Amino acid sequence: MALAFGALFVALVLCALAAPLWADLAGRGPEATNVTGKIEVDGRQVDVVSLDGTPIGPQWRSEYFLGADANGRDVMVRLLYGARNSLLIGIAAALLTTILATLVGLLAGYLGRWVDAVARSALDVIWAFPVILLGVALATALAVGGLQIGPFTLEAGSTAISIAVIAVVYVPYMARPIRGEVLALREKEFVEAARAQGAGPLRTMLSELLPNLSSTIVVFAPLMVANAILLEAALSFLGVGVVPPAPSWGNMIDAGVERLVTAPHLAIVPGAMLVATVLALNVLGDGVRDAFDPRSRASWGARRP
Amino acid sequence: MTSSRSFLSAVVLALAAFAAAGCGDSDDGGAEAGNSGGSMTIAQTSQPDALDPALAYTSQSWEPLWVVYTPPLTYRHAEGQEGTELIPGVAEALPEISDDGKTYSFKIREGLKYSNGKPVKASDFEHTIKRVLNLESGGTYLFEGIEGATDFIEGGDPKADITGIEADDATGEVTITLTEPDGTFSNVLATNFAGMVPASTPFENQSTKPPPGVGPYEITESVPNRQFTLSQVEGFDIPDVPKGKVDTITTRIVKSTSRQAQDVIGGKLDYMQDPPPTDLLAEIKASHSDRYKEWPTPSTYYFFLNQSIPPFDNEQAREAVNVAIDSTAIARIFGGRLKPSCNVIPSGIPGHEDPDPCPFGDPSAAGDVDEAKRLVEEAGVGGEKVTVYANNDSNRPQIGEYYTDLLNQIGFDADLKIIDGAIYFNTIGNEKTKAQTGLAAWYPDFAHPGSFLQQFDGTAIQPTNNSNYGYVNDPEINKGIADLLKEPDVATVADQWAELDRKAIEKSYLAPYGSEELTTFMSDRVDFDNCSLVHPLYGNDYTSFCLK
Repeated sequence: MALAFGALFVALVLCALAAPLWADLAGRGPEATNVTGKIEVDGRQVDVVSLDGTPIGPQWRSEYFLGADANGRDVMVRLLYGARNSLLIGIAAALLTTILATLVGLLAGYLGRWVDAVARSALDVIWAFPVILLGVALATALAVGGLQIGPFTLEAGSTAISIAVIAVVYVPYMARPIRGEVLALREKEFVEAARAQGAGPLRTMLSELLPNLSSTIVVFAPLMVANAILLEAALSFLGVGVVPPAPSWGNMIDAGVERLVTAPHLAIVPGAMLVATVLALNVLGDGVRDAFDPRSRASWGARRP
Repeated sequence: MTSSRSFLSAVVLALAAFAAAGCGDSDDGGAEAGNSGGSMTIAQTSQPDALDPALAYTSQSWEPLWVVYTPPLTYRHAEGQEGTELIPGVAEALPEISDDGKTYSFKIREGLKYSNGKPVKASDFEHTIKRVLNLESGGTYLFEGIEGATDFIEGGDPKADITGIEADDATGEVTITLTEPDGTFSNVLATNFAGMVPASTPFENQSTKPPPGVGPYEITESVPNRQFTLSQVEGFDIPDVPKGKVDTITTRIVKSTSRQAQDVIGGKLDYMQDPPPTDLLAEIKASHSDRYKEWPTPSTYYFFLNQSIPPFDNEQAREAVNVAIDSTAIARIFGGRLKPSCNVIPSGIPGHEDPDPCPFGDPSAAGDVDEAKRLVEEAGVGGEKVTVYANNDSNRPQIGEYYTDLLNQIGFDADLKIIDGAIYFNTIGNEKTKAQTGLAAWYPDFAHPGSFLQQFDGTAIQPTNNSNYGYVNDPEINKGIADLLKEPDVATVADQWAELDRKAIEKSYLAPYGSEELTTFMSDRVDFDNCSLVHPLYGNDYTSFCLK
């Protein structure tokens, strides 16, 4: 099951990577508007967007395979490019979350004392806010001026802002379990032995603790990607994620909601893609967890008839 | 208003055509017909820019505030041309104007009270105008012609005197002296900015706790971004100003026009200020035509082009935008509710003339992208970064996306910035934003060509709440506006206004694309036939609303 859904996720990624190829076939890019254009349907010239503003529906051919949106853009092309944006932000944010959470969890758990106190407090503050609320607040605050951290500048409205916001918001959800595991590991004999052999804190953390955290990190990773993709969609839906005209599944759903009666596919198709991706990642994550945790697999197996 | 406003003279012959075209006759929704009592819940898409008469300057705020803050003069609550007739409001009679056109005198009505029961004093008028000037309101420019107004603004002291306003509380007399004659000043006295507030009203935005006013309704609740409530004021009595019929009108801020329309259909909302979304228009027209109507507006929709900064400080770059625009495409995004044009002064306003031909091609035909590309290249601005500003009200993001793509097609490197509708015009009207280009629209403060062209008056540019989004500052246009505004009979200089209009569009100071048709859509609870009066300047008149 996990493998099947893993394959589905890989297929989605491949589709996203193939977006430019489909755009070539369709003859237009994801942001190319065509409000007054016409296409041939059953030998007749038909408006891509009618005079009263209704976009054409799915044509099931390379051009307007899934129809057009209100600006006459090709929905299939935008869907695939939207997948690139959604997956890029989801995967990059999950990666950044993993790095930050591992760093914070390791330092807080192993060094303890004031480092732990400060880290725990910071994590608690972030944890205290609902994810979407904090995401919207941070994204809105950075929407105008962007962010400058030392030599790094994240331009307002850029994809990097979305990645940074989503990554930060999810850090506590991963850092707290990692810290807990480090607290348990640091009392183990092999850590004592490393210390006795003269290993410093850095070496102990990198050589002894980090390898033992790998299973936890690997189990978390796909779930973090799924959560990040969902949050990106939510932020874009609310207008603070990917900035139009660049497509993402979230902002496509947002635009589609305004056309639910005359063009329901505009919201349903990106919504279905979102569900499929998140489902695939969650089942994959469960599979990975089962693989790393035999007790979990045993109990799952025991429940089966 | 932004969807801005401007003002009027009583001379509105051309509005007859506008009225005949779509406002219906004045028997529709007559202000005195229909039942009284009950409560209505209505919706707007964005929080109004302000619920303070000194600062409010959008259609979203002017529509409700018109029935809360009556100025010294006001307009007859009627449709079409009749609705542009000036009548006394807080003033006892229309002002007496001196022979040189510089002095306006009127007397406050005796026994008039604010909604809190306190008496209205003549000195409150000066305080009302001081607030407009001191708060750097978008309406500041309307009152700068009062003697001493400029000194008052520059001095920055709210306690200072405006030498050109004399008020006598004992007699109720107010005398205003202007530095130059202004043929539109009676109409300025009828704008919402002159809506009287007590002298105790602080010099700060009072949107969360709107001050008392003189009107058929008062604002009894204001929760930003959620709702505000208008309650009928007992004892309000100004001749020719209707007392209103419904007890309370609660306006909810509902972001989705689709949700609003569904709620109006289902009876959860009684009226939506914005047009229903394109998605539901066909169904509404087919199944609810007995409570839906469309009406033309004397409005100008355009893209502003900021000539104070690159790349639109280059005339060829601005020309390229005008050449490329396809108004028919934007009309489709409007769901067909846009009449393409290339003017600043819209149809129905004196001074409107259909240029033949339009300088950059027929607005009802597609734009010439190839020619625009050539112009951009020739101007040497190809590849320059451009940020397009749009708000998030219904269909505006789609127009912003269309425009962004168009700029990219003709050679710019454009991206889009979408800003909440509640703060959009304040943002692009702040010089620190340095907005290069974006969506703008103008509805008249009064039916006068000056009301439209004054937004391109360089002498009216201000650091905040600026309405001259393109920072147009052409000495010839500035002088033309100043000279023509002195003329009390606009009909005699209508062709000169048309000439100024032509100059503005020939120099591509803006990229106009048409006038919008607005809508009235009400629930089944409302007596639509008798209670849906559309005023030509303020839109739907809340005093006409009534339930079946």
